Amino acid sequence: MRAIPGPQPMEHEAKHLLSGLGLSVPEGVFIEKPQRKLLREMVLLKTGRLGLPLAAKTVAPGIRSKSEAGGIRLRIETKSELLEAVRELMEMEGARGVLVERMVEGGTEAIVGGLIDAQFGPVVMFGLGGIFTEVFRDVSFALAPTGPVEAKKLISRIKGQSVLQGMRGRPPVDLKALTAAIVTVSRLMATGLIKEIDLNPLSLFPQGAFVLDAKIFV
Amino acid sequence: MLKALKKKQKRKEKDLSGLFNPESVAVIGASHSELKLGGVVLKNLLRLKRRIRIFPVNPKFPRLMGIKAYPSVEGIKGKIDLAIIIRPAPETPSILEALTGKASCALVVSAGFAEAGQAGLQDEVLRTARKGGIILMGPNCMGVYNATTGLDTFILPPERLPRPRAGGTAIVTQSGAVLSLLFEGMAKTDMGVSITAHYGNAADIDESDIYEYLENDAGTEAVICYLESVRDGRRFIKRAKALSEKKPLIILKAGKGAAGQAAAFSHTGRLAGAYEVFHSVLAQYGIFEACDFEDLMDGALALSTQWKDLKHKNKNRNKNKKTSKGNRVLVLTNGGGAGVLASDECTRQGFEQPEIPPANLENFRKIFPPFYGMGNPFDLTAQGSDRDYLYILRELGDGLSFFDGFIIIALTAVTGITPALAGMLADFKKRTGRPMVLHTGQDEAGRELGREARKAGIPSFDTPERAVRALGHLLSW
Repeated sequence: MRAIPGPQPMEHEAKHLLSGLGLSVPEGVFIEKPQRKLLREMVLLKTGRLGLPLAAKTVAPGIRSKSEAGGIRLRIETKSELLEAVRELMEMEGARGVLVERMVEGGTEAIVGGLIDAQFGPVVMFGLGGIFTEVFRDVSFALAPTGPVEAKKLISRIKGQSVLQGMRGRPPVDLKALTAAIVTVSRLMATGLIKEIDLNPLSLFPQGAFVLDAKIFV
Repeated sequence: MLKALKKKQKRKEKDLSGLFNPESVAVIGASHSELKLGGVVLKNLLRLKRRIRIFPVNPKFPRLMGIKAYPSVEGIKGKIDLAIIIRPAPETPSILEALTGKASCALVVSAGFAEAGQAGLQDEVLRTARKGGIILMGPNCMGVYNATTGLDTFILPPERLPRPRAGGTAIVTQSGAVLSLLFEGMAKTDMGVSITAHYGNAADIDESDIYEYLENDAGTEAVICYLESVRDGRRFIKRAKALSEKKPLIILKAGKGAAGQAAAFSHTGRLAGAYEVFHSVLAQYGIFEACDFEDLMDGALALSTQWKDLKHKNKNRNKNKKTSKGNRVLVLTNGGGAGVLASDECTRQGFEQPEIPPANLENFRKIFPPFYGMGNPFDLTAQGSDRDYLYILRELGDGLSFFDGFIIIALTAVTGITPALAGMLADFKKRTGRPMVLHTGQDEAGRELGREARKAGIPSFDTPERAVRALGHLLSW
């Protein structure tokens, strides 16, 4: 049986790790839950360089789905909106803080994951986001670690792969960046140090790919 | 250096020739009666074409089935390549201990181990075998049928489970029940078997070890394998890949239903069912998977009849890397509907069906009646005859070929089609080396044409779709 995953790093920690491994994450800051009166000053000080619009997410260990719990605010256009969002998110159950990031949108959503399979050991998974994985389970797996050539084959094995080539006027996504993400996750899995990982979504653009959310189970 | 040497020695330990090709066999638990398992096995061994030394072990009888019997393992002088153990499960460890130093391989037929909740006993058996340097197959298995030499360790008499003729296809199976289905299927299409291995609980020897042996087994041209689970996925992939680089291997994996872990923490974990991962990894390494039992049998039939031609083609391909595997097929039919069904399956399989090249088309228009459908499928209608098939194939297939494979549909309810078509098709295939499959009717004439075609190396199938899928197996090599 698959081992039951242990404690998990929080989102900003997971992203920090992935960023250190060369993957792109949205520029952002983690605001730890402070004394109430200092919140305003801290938020304004820390987020000043990010510009607008922004996204804010609650950071709470053990939370299953931030979006289902209402822990995400997107397209924040003003400072006052930001302050209100951060205040609310800080109040959520179990919140340790709030992650404020530059808003990244308009990409093609994909999922890149990894786990330890009972028969094959570390494997890496690729699928397109949204209904492609939720409804159609259109994903494919490969033994980890995998190089770029194998990673490309992994991408080509899903049924919906033509979405990546660009359609309905959308340009093709940056396959090189996607391949790099798959290779990185597969190498991370092959170290045996982590049990499961989700980059979900990994947002794919004509140039570049951003890890919008990441979960790691150690 | 030392490490490499050690590795080599370790490898040598798993030399399975004693299992598949023994010179001396002991039957522990042999019996005088064919109503007992020990009697069936002894009788099967006595049928062997080649003379080998047989040592029946039974404390009650000095002779069994006309040969000297031994009261115990200790009484056997000389080396035993294969010891077949047909005694109640709890006796097995002590028997293996007695075999230490005498036997190189042991086959434990008896049940009552891990499959019956007795994992401890199975561990003890494995430990004892390892300590004694004995390679172990089973427990809970039928063992080996080597059609080339006649070695037969099965506890089912041939009258109950007819053995297929000798041939080039090896069977590796985890299930004994599926083995009997495979034998029936092979007999029906006159396929021949080289080695059959039913390895049961796989305490020691498992599918990977058997793949390794078959890789270098001269009599085996293709391998079909029924799997329920593998113990060491990485090793399985390595051995399956190595085998399928040398000869065709088709795997049927049972137990596809197990979904991902509902309680998994990550999205990935919820999507990763054991079968999904298995299926993906096979695809990653280009190892062929049959979707169901029928597909396994059809693929085996196609590969066993045309593997030699493909091997030749592949040799040339390696020399000239520019030529690709290709998936351009021609459907040549004398029945419109059957042709369309075949085309539909071609689409599902991802095959291309290119149009007839203009130069050829011009020719065809001159000599064929205008009501022939000269596309792809090429429809000869009920007016079509043997010669039309041959003419078209010659025109299209010779010289620079436009097609990588051919699906011939010849329904025999019309007068133009005769069994002679089989020879014509075979002749063409021999010349071009291109994969070819046949779908024909199931009436008397159709069955005869199918038989003739099979004899001539062209597999024949009952439905257009099965013919197309079988061609898929051929095009992948």
